[in-house]
This record gives sequence, C-alpha cells and structure tokens, in this order.
Amino acid sequence: MNSFPGPENSWEGVDAYFTWADSPGILVFLSLVVAAICVGIIWSAARHESEVADKHK
Amino acid sequence: MTLEELNTFVTTQANVSMEAYYWWCTAFMVIIHVGFLMYEVGATRMKNAVSSGVKNLLAFAFMIPTFWLFGWYIYLAFPAGFVPIDLEGYGTPWNVSMGPMLSDQATGVFWAAFTLFACTTASIFSGAVIERIRLSAFTFLAVILGSVVWITGASWGWHPDGWLVTGFGYHDVGAAGVVHTIAGWFAFGVLLNLGPRIGKYNEDGTANEIEGHSLVSSFIGLLMLIVGFFGFLGGCLIWAGSDLGGWINIYGAPATLSSFAFNTLMGLSGGMIGAFWYSKGNPFWMMSGGLAGIFICAGGLDIWYPGFAFIMGVVAGIVIIPANNWLHNTFKIDDCVGAVSVHGVSGILGVLVVGIFAAGYPASGDIPPTSFVGQLVGAITMIATGFIPGYVISLVMKSMGWLRVPDEVQMAGIDKAELGLEAYQKQ
Repeated sequence: MNSFPGPENSWEGVDAYFTWADSPGILVFLSLVVAAICVGIIWSAARHESEVADKHK
Repeated sequence: MTLEELNTFVTTQANVSMEAYYWWCTAFMVIIHVGFLMYEVGATRMKNAVSSGVKNLLAFAFMIPTFWLFGWYIYLAFPAGFVPIDLEGYGTPWNVSMGPMLSDQATGVFWAAFTLFACTTASIFSGAVIERIRLSAFTFLAVILGSVVWITGASWGWHPDGWLVTGFGYHDVGAAGVVHTIAGWFAFGVLLNLGPRIGKYNEDGTANEIEGHSLVSSFIGLLMLIVGFFGFLGGCLIWAGSDLGGWINIYGAPATLSSFAFNTLMGLSGGMIGAFWYSKGNPFWMMSGGLAGIFICAGGLDIWYPGFAFIMGVVAGIVIIPANNWLHNTFKIDDCVGAVSVHGVSGILGVLVVGIFAAGYPASGDIPPTSFVGQLVGAITMIATGFIPGYVISLVMKSMGWLRVPDEVQMAGIDKAELGLEAYQKQ
C-alpha cells in the first residue's frame, strides 16, 4: 500500500507512492470510471453513426 | 567501493538499463502505428481517408486503458487455459504494482511493451476492413482482439507457464503465432461477416480492383512498419541483466539480439525479393513480402542460420500472393491490404517451420524441446484463438446491425457523412 510520504516527509521507506494507493476502494472506483468512459464513448459513437445512417436513408 | 556497494551499483544499473531498453522498444513500436495509418490511409479512396486514419487512432487510444484494465491481468492469470490462477491481486488495475512503485521497475515497462503488441494486433486487423466498417464497431472489435484474444493466446504460448509451452515446448519467440496468426485469422472471421466494399465484386463473382488514393503514403507507411517492427522484435527478448544473465528468449533459453538482427534483416530481404519476382515488380506486394519474410522467420528468430532465413523469406514473399488470391476467390472477402495472407498465412508458416527445421532445440527448466507436433498444436490453437471469436462476435454484431456502414453512407463517403470532414480541399 501507499507508503508516501516517509518519516518527516522524506522518501525513506517509501515503495508504492501514487495517489490514493492506500485506499483499495478508491482505486477500484477509479478503474470502474475508466471502464465506464471507454464503454460510454463507444456507445456514443455508435449512436452518432446510427443517426447519420438514418439521415442518409 | 566495497563489494556490497559494487553489487548495489551493478544491480541498479542493470535495472535502469532494462527499463530504458523496454521504454525505447515501446517508443519504436509506436512507429508501427504510424506505418499502418499511412499505409491504410493511402490504400483508401479519398472520400474515406480521414475516417480510415481516425480508425487507427481510435484503436491505439482505446487499447491503452483497456489493456491496463484487463489485458495485462489476462496474460498473467490464464496460462493454464480458461481458469485463472491465483495471483493475489497482481495484474489488476487496483494493485499497487500497476503504478509508480520504487521496488518494481519491471511491471510498467513490460505492461507498456505488451500494450503496444496489443495495438499491433488491432492495426493488423484494421487494414483488412477499411472503408465499410463502423468506427464504433471496429473500436470494440479492436479492443476484443488486443486486450482479450491475442493476450489469451500469448498467455498460452508465450508465458513461461503457458500450457502450450510447458506441455508441448511451443517455440514462438517473435510472435509468429501469438500475434500474426491470431490477428490475421481474427480479421478473416470478421471479413466473412462484414462483406466487401460496394463495387468490389460483380454479380458474376468477378472482382474489381479498388485503387487507393496515395501510393506514396502507402509506400512510406510500409517502410515505417519495418522500422517499428525492430522495436516490436526487440521487445520480444528478455533482459536478464539484474540476474547477470544477459539476454534470454521469452522461454528462458539463452539468446542474442544479434541473432534477431541477422534473421530479421535476411527474412525481410528474402521476402521483398521473392514477392518482387512472383508479382513481376508490384511494389505493394514487395513491401508486404518483406513483412511476410520477417514473420515466417519470427518463430525461430533466435536460432535460424541467416542464409536459411533468407530462403524462408523468399518462400513467404511468394506464397502470400497466391494465398491472398485463393482466399479472395474462394470466400469472396475484401481484404483491402492482404492482412489475412501477410499475417495469418505467414504466421502459420512461421510457427510450423520451427517444428519442421528446428525440432529438438532445448528450452529452459522443464520445458520440453521444440517438436513438429508441438508447433502443429500451437498453430491450430492460434488459428482457432483468432478465428472463432472474430467470427462469432462479428456475427452477433452483424445481427444487431452494428458492424457495417450502410450502403448510402459508403457511397457518400464516411468522412463527409460521419465526421463532417474531407481529407483534401477542392481547388
């Protein structure tokens, strides 16, 4: 888990140090947000394509 | 300097060098996508040039987050087949190793290199389907291919614990099977459901040649591909510097980057010359033949004699042309860049030739030596791993009306209709 910052705001004993690494719940939440964005954009693009197809009928 | 300090220095430098090596391999692999983009845009008619390029950019952009979300985990978790092994969370995006971590200098750069391998599979598929696949459908299929399908095959045939490796001694150091065969036959599965571009085939079954709009762009793109594949193939070797072991192949056996250099270049050269001869000077086939020459050598890049690599390259450069014609005439597909033949057929050959001409090579540890049966099982597995999901998923998408651009939009041009853009201003 997140070990940043080390004692007295140093790098001593630090290993993983990215934002929120000490909170699995937030990491899972952020991962789900990434997944939702990917799915949502593909769905949005598909909807736009269908609208274009309808206009050309 | 004490012995302990010297040990720390050497280990640290080895780790930093390893990181830097894969960092630059990854950067070179981006050039593959520059190449595919230029090639495909050039092979596209002017009215679809922008959307063809956007398609390539989308595959690249979506592959990165999806490979971070689940692609890397699949590689690590499924070497035994379809049942995941317990990794105690390693490889999942919420594991601490999937971000900045001082004690782990390997995960990030290996993940990046594998992500670019995944992008490469998507780009292989991309060229086959230009000018009539929906952008959203292509993006979805590219993610399936890059972040699920090929990486499953890689887990079976590249991972040191993969069942093809431990059970059959499968040897595929340059990804002839796990990348090229899988991507080529995935594309074939999709092509069967996607159908050809309007005007490709006449009612009597004869085919028309649909010319691209920029041969120069395609030429440069194909050459850029070859530059990029040096990064790709470099990333297929393992830097065991911190173990003071030098290079090893992906199966843990001793190898050298020099052997890769010999055989990549000799295969490339043979493929170009073979295709030049058979096609009577067609430049498109010359460059595709060069790629096929590399891919037929890819499975055994660490062990071929360079003269033999050249001869195999000549064979690949010749074979892909009748193979492409046969696939088109038999299945009435419209593979705009010959991807199924160049990657799928050459990939199969690249796996099989190891079994035919390099059987008996030892691997490391308990991995069995190379054999024809092992390579045959590997080739069949890779074909099925690519073709079945490509065909089945695209069939479902076709039934949903989510695969092919409607004929009216194809005739109007996808650029203008969907993107509101045109590649070139009318003077």
